[in-house]
Amino acid sequence: MTLLEAAAALRRRDTSSAELTAAYLQRIERLNPSTNAMQTVMADAAREQAKQADHELARGDDRGPLHGIPIAVKDLFSTKGVRTTGGSSLFADHVPDHDAAVVESLCAGGAVLVGKTGMHELAYGITSSNPHFGAIRNPWDRDRIPGGSSGGSAAAVAAGMVSMAMGSDTGGSIRIPASFCGVVGLKPTYGRVSRYGAMPLGFSLDHMGPLTRSVRDAAAVLNGIAGHDPRDETSSRRPVENYVPDLEPSIRGLRIGLPENFYLESLDPDVDAAVRAAFKTAESRGAEIVPLRVPDIAAINTVARVILLAEASALLEPHLEQRDRFGPDVLALLDQGRLLPATDYINAQRLRSALQREFAGLWSRVDCLFTPTTPITAPRIGETATTVGGQSQDVRLTTTRLVRAINALGLPALSVPCGADRRGLPIGLQIIGQPFAEALILRVAQALVPAEVPVPRL
Amino acid sequence: MSTDWKKDWKKIARANGLAIPDAALERIAQSLDALEADFRPLVRTLPPETEPAVAFHAAIELSHDRKGVEDSE
Repeated sequence: MTLLEAAAALRRRDTSSAELTAAYLQRIERLNPSTNAMQTVMADAAREQAKQADHELARGDDRGPLHGIPIAVKDLFSTKGVRTTGGSSLFADHVPDHDAAVVESLCAGGAVLVGKTGMHELAYGITSSNPHFGAIRNPWDRDRIPGGSSGGSAAAVAAGMVSMAMGSDTGGSIRIPASFCGVVGLKPTYGRVSRYGAMPLGFSLDHMGPLTRSVRDAAAVLNGIAGHDPRDETSSRRPVENYVPDLEPSIRGLRIGLPENFYLESLDPDVDAAVRAAFKTAESRGAEIVPLRVPDIAAINTVARVILLAEASALLEPHLEQRDRFGPDVLALLDQGRLLPATDYINAQRLRSALQREFAGLWSRVDCLFTPTTPITAPRIGETATTVGGQSQDVRLTTTRLVRAINALGLPALSVPCGADRRGLPIGLQIIGQPFAEALILRVAQALVPAEVPVPRL
Repeated sequence: MSTDWKKDWKKIARANGLAIPDAALERIAQSLDALEADFRPLVRTLPPETEPAVAFHAAIELSHDRKGVEDSE
């Protein structure tokens, strides 16, 4: 059941928040041992919140579509009085005294917080094979990674443990797990959703957004969490729209960019076929497909890597003497960041400005771009190299290749399921829009994606 | 495109007083060399007037300071 279907059922009195919450908690109890998607389950608090939501709804005090809906948030969002680890042993006992802005907004909307989802250590990686809290497993094939860093959020939504879980995305960390787990993942424009109270990784690259089972659910959540927050220096004052698209929106006449370079190179053949089929579907619904050459995405990826290495190492510098508190992959990245001179960081931010201006030129020619989210489907747990187009490639670099640049550009982007590979593993389509065009990319996605995404039988 | 010289990461770590073991430096050297090879040519394309994407906003700082003052009053 999607979030909005549950919301409708609550208002028809077909179910109650207490019943929904009990059902999700039961599913968590059954499936968490094999997926490890939930790091902390807040059963008692959730039951109390659900009871309160039922009372409020019964007396006509309706706070909107999130009211009474069981949800989860990634374990880097501060939750008052509830442990928030960031997937790190450094913060294993950290109990914040405040809620993150996103948590505040969701709770103000009446959502029932059933727990915190597991993640890649410090959100700095794409496997979610966490050395401190265990590997998170993909519900489609539990020998495979769910992607990361918001792996627990994607796995929880795909497994039906919650209808929505919040994630964060610094170099693809919402879109990659959405692609690997076959759910919808939305990374809004930089500044659209407050970062306040979310453990940072890369200050100028971090974005917060939802993972859901439908496009309309992601839009409904964005309605609840978007908006200016003075506690986040980079928060936008641009007014919030209604992001929820019609059930069957028109995309007639919309111009969809078909990248002739970079994005459709070196792909798994099943991914290539599924993404090309998505262009055909969009065309059959009246969209105009516009072939074009995109700016140097490899250069933007390089710039984004330099920025992230420097920002993450600067942030974690005070802890870096405790080398045994980090997993080897995260420590290797943090060491790299410490070796970059300050001039590289400044020059990367200068290059970012130049490349941002160059990329902005695309928006006079198209309304959005379609690309694959990931060149491959979910790799096996522990796999560090994969073969794409006959060449052995590093799993981390391959997985982030098509998503990382969009963080440096701050653009809104959505990953939606667009088919499955020969093994039945989900394939993701990335839809990229110009700044603050969330409503448009959600509309396009809604026109292509089923009302509820296919989910694994568990 | 590659650079015609390589940085000595062990010497850089030592010069910066970073306690990174040699074995760890050897493991990351290849990644750093590859990043250098990609990044250095890009830097050479930068015109001097290009400013960084991060900027200091004095007005926002002041509004935060004022809010803090108001809260304490």
